[in-house]
Amino acid sequence: MSEDAVLEYLHIELVNYVLSDKDVKKNENDLSDLEYIGFTTGYRIIERLTREWPRFKDELEKLKFICTDFWSSIYKKQIDNLRMNHQGVYVLQDNAFRFLTRISSGTQYLEHAPKYVAFTCGLIRGSLLNLGISSTVTAEVQAMPSCKFHIQFNRT
Amino acid sequence: MIYNFYIFDKQGNLLYYQEWTRLKQSGITCEEEAKLMYGMIYSMKSFVNKISPTDIRDGYMHYKTNKNALHILETSSGLKFVMNTDTASTGIKDFMNQFYLKIWLEYVVKNPFCLPEKPITSELFKAKCDEFIKQSTFYGGIKSI
Repeated sequence: MSEDAVLEYLHIELVNYVLSDKDVKKNENDLSDLEYIGFTTGYRIIERLTREWPRFKDELEKLKFICTDFWSSIYKKQIDNLRMNHQGVYVLQDNAFRFLTRISSGTQYLEHAPKYVAFTCGLIRGSLLNLGISSTVTAEVQAMPSCKFHIQFNRT
Repeated sequence: MIYNFYIFDKQGNLLYYQEWTRLKQSGITCEEEAKLMYGMIYSMKSFVNKISPTDIRDGYMHYKTNKNALHILETSSGLKFVMNTDTASTGIKDFMNQFYLKIWLEYVVKNPFCLPEKPITSELFKAKCDEFIKQSTFYGGIKSI
């Protein structure tokens, strides 16, 4: 139980720390550092997690892996909904996203929500890249603790 | 029946206050009342420490009057949870321990917007606290009115 809490406290402080150098960056809403930390973390995690997995057949299988095993190893639950929207973007919906469940159950503090999902956007992007998919990941929070991650593949 | 509930930090700042079935108001502001309450607890603690024949290591104290009982749970970190109930309620100590584990640790300690020594503004904590109290067997506000 307490080892799960360590990740949560560390994540809170990570957000705090990365965003506290505002003088240097001049931009309070610069979440790219957080995203990049998530990206490298995700890239590394995949190496270990997929060790005992058979090779993935296609993109959908890789995404399903992210929604199930990958998500439950980090967030202790699976993604609640995986969809493809009409623009060809995959949408992963978590109705009780772990980093938001303690903050609010509604719209209080909603303006701060992007800070607490940026790391996870990077995490998804990094893990997909190591599985061979280059993508852009954005997040959308309408009411906490629910969160939607939009994954757009970068076709070349 | 649970009347009201205070949370103090180790400096004596009031972090949180909520009341349920409180029939008689003190007639002073909430801040003044909290100061009085904290002062009373502080004095009581030092009094009990001096007068007690054995060492007190429990962190829990309570007293009863004819009409009500006051329960104080103090954690090792100095937080004080103070609850006023009717005299028939027993087992409040376990209840307050559960509150600490399930509500305080989850919705305050893990919430980045709850800063140390600052009053709690989280709506979620407030809702969870209310729900936790109302679900308990001690609450029973409606029956007695």
